[in-house]
Amino acid sequence: MESLLTRPEIQSAVLPFVIALALALGLRRLTTTAWLWALFTAFTVSALLINGFTLTPLTGTRKIILLLGAALLSAALLPGVLSKLRLQRPFIDLFCLLALAWVFWVVLARMPSEQIAIHAAGFITLLVILQQSFERVSGNPAQLHGAGLSLLLGVGLSATAAASALLGQLALALAAASGGAYLAWVIAGSAPSATGGKQPVVTLPYLLAALLLGLASVVFARLPWYALIPLALIPLVVSLVPVKSESRFARALLASLPGLVIALAVAFWVWQSGSSDSGY
Amino acid sequence: MKKYLIAAVLTTLPVNAVLADNYTIDSTHTYVSFAVNHLGFSTMRGKFNQQSGSMQFDPSAKKASVTLEIEAASIDTGHEKRDAHLRSPDFLNAVENPTISFESTGVTWNGAKLATVSGNLTMLGVSKPVTLQVTSMNCGEHPFNKKWTCGFDATGSIKRTDFGVNYGMPAIGEVLDLQIEVEAARN
Repeated sequence: MESLLTRPEIQSAVLPFVIALALALGLRRLTTTAWLWALFTAFTVSALLINGFTLTPLTGTRKIILLLGAALLSAALLPGVLSKLRLQRPFIDLFCLLALAWVFWVVLARMPSEQIAIHAAGFITLLVILQQSFERVSGNPAQLHGAGLSLLLGVGLSATAAASALLGQLALALAAASGGAYLAWVIAGSAPSATGGKQPVVTLPYLLAALLLGLASVVFARLPWYALIPLALIPLVVSLVPVKSESRFARALLASLPGLVIALAVAFWVWQSGSSDSGY
Repeated sequence: MKKYLIAAVLTTLPVNAVLADNYTIDSTHTYVSFAVNHLGFSTMRGKFNQQSGSMQFDPSAKKASVTLEIEAASIDTGHEKRDAHLRSPDFLNAVENPTISFESTGVTWNGAKLATVSGNLTMLGVSKPVTLQVTSMNCGEHPFNKKWTCGFDATGSIKRTDFGVNYGMPAIGEVLDLQIEVEAARN
């Protein structure tokens, strides 16, 4: 059993998928809160197995784990408060900016000021692209979660191909968890929508994970920064494909397929841009 | 005047006798390399290409100390893609932790020669005690630059998991055998 739990495919694919699916199905109605709890539980179990129980030294990767866990937990604990918060969007924007500063300042601080400015501009640009891209799918749960799942899968596979299995595994764990919750929606028939005041809360797990893990793969590993652009545009592309089917399964498939194609294409391209021989 | 001069020399002598000479490590003749088991089949070797440091060394007073700084990103196993992975957060996390350092805390002697150097190895923000066995030590005047030069060969081993490097366990070996050759010139 112990050796099974050390296997990457169990840690970051099977386990988070099964946990999120079981929790989401176990909770009769897949509300936003239930969905966030399913994601939080699945991600936390995966992150503990991938990273271990230690937070020292507090590396950038461990800060990302803490931030994602804290964001999911606070969104799950305080959905009503966050939904009613008039300044919800600026509050989440500020959280994202502070998260970026906390994770990356240790590296940026060693750079010349013009390099800091270029990096900061790049970080903010990616945040804006992700936000605007997700805005396009916020009214359609199938598209929103299909795009989110594809985006995290793309970030995870690209990070792994760009020489950081650790960052890749974390993104894939959240992708698997969101996939499990998404399947629960296909089976049970209710998915958390992101209309009205819920939009920033529901898109937060996807947006924050893609932002932090994607940029960490650029800064700490060697993912080309421009690989993040097509990935960030996945929700926008998904929104362009009409999803009009009576079948939930068909809707889920239609909403996920364009994003999955982009995610796999980017990951394949990143993999091909290096040597195919990993050296192991 | 002569009396004062003799007094000054006599006062200074004992102090000089206990003060070790300062040496600067010659990075072009200093090598830090490692060997690790590869999937149980064979031994994989690698090295670091950039390092610097200093020494205080006085064999007559049996005193020595050394500080060595290694650029983590200079890791070289002869395979570009593998080296990029070794620099990533899976292994050395070289962007966040650019330096691996060794600072000696004590030495033992075997006659006039160094026997062991103990110290703290700091890698990925974790410091662990390491003892290096000195297998060779030679000092003399450098034939070309005429500086007094000392050279040392040392070996030791560390467990990478002690520093939080768990990736690829147990397929990629846990124990790294270190081999360090240092040449240093007296300032």
